Amino acid sequence: MAPRLPRRRCLMTQQMSVKTSKVAGTWAWFFQRVSAVLLIVFLGVHIFVDHFMNVGSETAGETLITFGDVSMRLGDFVYIFVDYTLLALVLFHGLNGARTVLFDFDMFIKRKKAVDVGLWILGVATLVWGIVILWPFIKGG
Amino acid sequence: MKIGENDLRMRTFKWLFGRNSEFWPKNMKTGMWAWIGHRITGVALVVYIFMHLSFITTASLGDGPKNFDALMKITSQPLFIVLDFLLVVVVIYHAMNGLRVVLFDAGIGIKRQKQVFWIAMGIAAVLIIGGIIALWHLVFPGGGA
Repeated sequence: MAPRLPRRRCLMTQQMSVKTSKVAGTWAWFFQRVSAVLLIVFLGVHIFVDHFMNVGSETAGETLITFGDVSMRLGDFVYIFVDYTLLALVLFHGLNGARTVLFDFDMFIKRKKAVDVGLWILGVATLVWGIVILWPFIKGG
Repeated sequence: MKIGENDLRMRTFKWLFGRNSEFWPKNMKTGMWAWIGHRITGVALVVYIFMHLSFITTASLGDGPKNFDALMKITSQPLFIVLDFLLVVVVIYHAMNGLRVVLFDAGIGIKRQKQVFWIAMGIAAVLIIGGIIALWHLVFPGGGA
């Protein structure tokens, strides 16, 4: 066995993660966990409904999902709710996760306000974008 | 003055990534690998969600509805199935390792963190095999091989 290098136990990562969690805050940590658990449930429903229940219709000799298939699924309020809630959860979880990564670096800790404002704008804008692009399916073309 | 600054920067680099640093592969333990994997898959999934929305945009706005069937045909090609499989692996790893993190934060299983990691990875492996079977049916509907 190769001789073990002297280990400075968790020196850097510990300092870094303590600092990051202090900057990011307790609510960010708490809602990251809540959204994580909810995401597993909603993503499970999303994948099951979109890829197992809806196996598509016959198009030119091939079985593919058509516009009509998606539209029919989204005719049900439950699936509209599932898709939009999933979008909101995924955006919160993803951007809050990115925020944590950014706060591992001093250059972003220094610009905390700008990071927070920027991510909120990006998140809300993307949520609106997602709501708009699903509308043609809900309306049915 | 300038030389001293560069010297310090070099030392910082070694401290972060050098042979004695925590990120040198030989010095990394299970939890560290799990953490790095969680970060990489997390960033990849944020990128993916924007790709996903972009794709839906081309299939829904403007002439999207008319081109929908053509777009579906493109995404049923082998290349996209491989990318789908990659997505399945990334999502399942991130979900299972994330569940492990949530358990630790709730005070469950910290003392046996390595075993918990490998149990989570075992569940992930089972789910990934399920994913392969599901994708197989999409590529070869009606049984296949």
